[in-house]
Amino acid sequence: MSENVIEVDNIVTRLAGAVVHDGISLNIEKGKVTALIGGSGTGKSVLLKEIIGLLRPQSGKIRLFGEDVWAVDEARLMALRRRFGVLFQDGALFSSLTVEQNVALPLREHTRLPPAECLELARLKIAMAGLPVSAGSKMPSELSGGMRKRAALARALALDPELLFLDEPTSGLDPISARAFDRLIRLLSDSLGLTVFLVTHDLDTLLSMVDKIIVLAHGKVLGQGSVEDLKEIDDPWLQDYFSSRYSEEPV
Amino acid sequence: MAEPGFEITRESGHTIVRLSGNWTLTHLNSAPTLNSIDGPCLVDGSNLAGLDTSGAHRLMSMLRQSGARLENVQTRAMSPSVLQVWTLVADHQRLTEGVKSEKPQGLLYQIGLGAVEALQHLFGVTAFIGRVFTEWLSLFRKPAAFRIKEFTAQLEVVFVYAIPITIAMIFLLGVVFAYLLGVQAQKFGANIFVVDGVSAAVLREISPVIVAILVAGRSGAAITAQLGTMKVNEEIDALSVLGLSPYVVLVLPRILALLLAMPLLVFLGDIAGLLGGMLIAKSQLGIEFSQFWDRLDSVLKMQTLLLGLLKAPVFAVFIGLIACRMGLSVSRDARSVGVNTTSTVVQSIVAVIVLNAIFAVVFADVPI
Repeated sequence: MSENVIEVDNIVTRLAGAVVHDGISLNIEKGKVTALIGGSGTGKSVLLKEIIGLLRPQSGKIRLFGEDVWAVDEARLMALRRRFGVLFQDGALFSSLTVEQNVALPLREHTRLPPAECLELARLKIAMAGLPVSAGSKMPSELSGGMRKRAALARALALDPELLFLDEPTSGLDPISARAFDRLIRLLSDSLGLTVFLVTHDLDTLLSMVDKIIVLAHGKVLGQGSVEDLKEIDDPWLQDYFSSRYSEEPV
Repeated sequence: MAEPGFEITRESGHTIVRLSGNWTLTHLNSAPTLNSIDGPCLVDGSNLAGLDTSGAHRLMSMLRQSGARLENVQTRAMSPSVLQVWTLVADHQRLTEGVKSEKPQGLLYQIGLGAVEALQHLFGVTAFIGRVFTEWLSLFRKPAAFRIKEFTAQLEVVFVYAIPITIAMIFLLGVVFAYLLGVQAQKFGANIFVVDGVSAAVLREISPVIVAILVAGRSGAAITAQLGTMKVNEEIDALSVLGLSPYVVLVLPRILALLLAMPLLVFLGDIAGLLGGMLIAKSQLGIEFSQFWDRLDSVLKMQTLLLGLLKAPVFAVFIGLIACRMGLSVSRDARSVGVNTTSTVVQSIVAVIVLNAIFAVVFADVPI
């Protein structure tokens, strides 16, 4: 029995009067790559924000590494946050800092390493994220969309997290860059023993690198398991979703 | 948990580095140093509790500093997961070797860069003014293209909402100025001349300049921040693609709203300043309101009022042009919005002060 890194228990969320989550429970196992899918407006990103402690749900419990995110004090929450990294959808790189400084920032703030070593480590993370070393001294505005995602990944990996959250990691990337990014995540997850939790729309990502898929619909967990398991579920959205890749064939 | 540590032994010609404890980021503190290593080196992980990329990086830097070549370093008794981290870092660290931080450029470079940027700024401003002017001319051919709604909305923001603060500021300045002048005038028993001084100062200088500075800080900054954020969100590009000129839709309504709002604000400021003066004249110098009014009627020349009101539209055009240009020249990041907004306020205030000085010289012949 593997241990759970994230345990979400009966979450209820209402935003502006609308019920977004109506009793959601799910577990994320250590060392696995788990994807969260669902149609637009099913509250995937909202759930992600609740798990990382940015948005409080109306009721329910969320445990990260066994600790209740919404019951611990500020200091414990900060300690928890050091154990995971987040890749935001558009990278969210700080535009006034170079890529290197962006990656070195968490190291400078949260460790007592000398500045020179922080910078060296930052360069290592940049190389691990698959960027050329010359990208380190560039400003985020000088990077392309794919490079920005990689730079943001390097920053998410800066503190050697045990858990990585990815919000739509391949959105806005061309298919080749997207597959390369998938392979990179899988490689890092395997070699660093990372637990990865990602929100995605990308069917190819699901087919190529994900261990387990969780489907959200109508405020509930519709199903979870492998792609094969999910194809068995009788739900119009899910059926459309899995058949969408064949519908593009020439008539 | 155990601190990261190591011990060195020699075994049949090999240097053995036996690791212990947690070589992870949270446990890394001071950097221990290795003595120089010669010959083949072997890293032993049998006592290792944990290794992450930061720990592996520290270890490899140490080995390199002691003279070992990373290609020749072998490992033994490492668990599969530790070995994977080790290999991943070893593969990528090679790529980062020899990267140097960029050195700051010398003085000559900075001067050259400054000169080029100043020149580009000048070209940019000229092109912008030309563009705004031609777009303005094109409105005469197609008056229907003018955004009347945008214009009135802007007028509400730059004029209506600015009325309370304008009146409050200039009223207070009128009070202070009348008080200072009153103290001097009393010494000569020339109390009534306070009316001459206050009216000339408020109408000719204080009201136009202070209103312009207020508008630059209030509306100029808002215009740059708004247009800049629209630029960042690609809204400006979207307008162009939809066949709409950002100049007609965004720039002209703003400049014209400022052009109309500023003289009105200055006029309100004139009244507020005079009221402030009247109040002090009565309480400090015993000049009744009726006396103040009679004196004002006989000494205040129409030219004084008009000169003040003439300055307002000139200031308005400069503030509007500066604010819109800085807004549209934002590059696609958040920092640039802040930089350009600051720059708008600074440029506008400098422009207002310089223009005011030019007015003073040009209209030196207008009797006060």
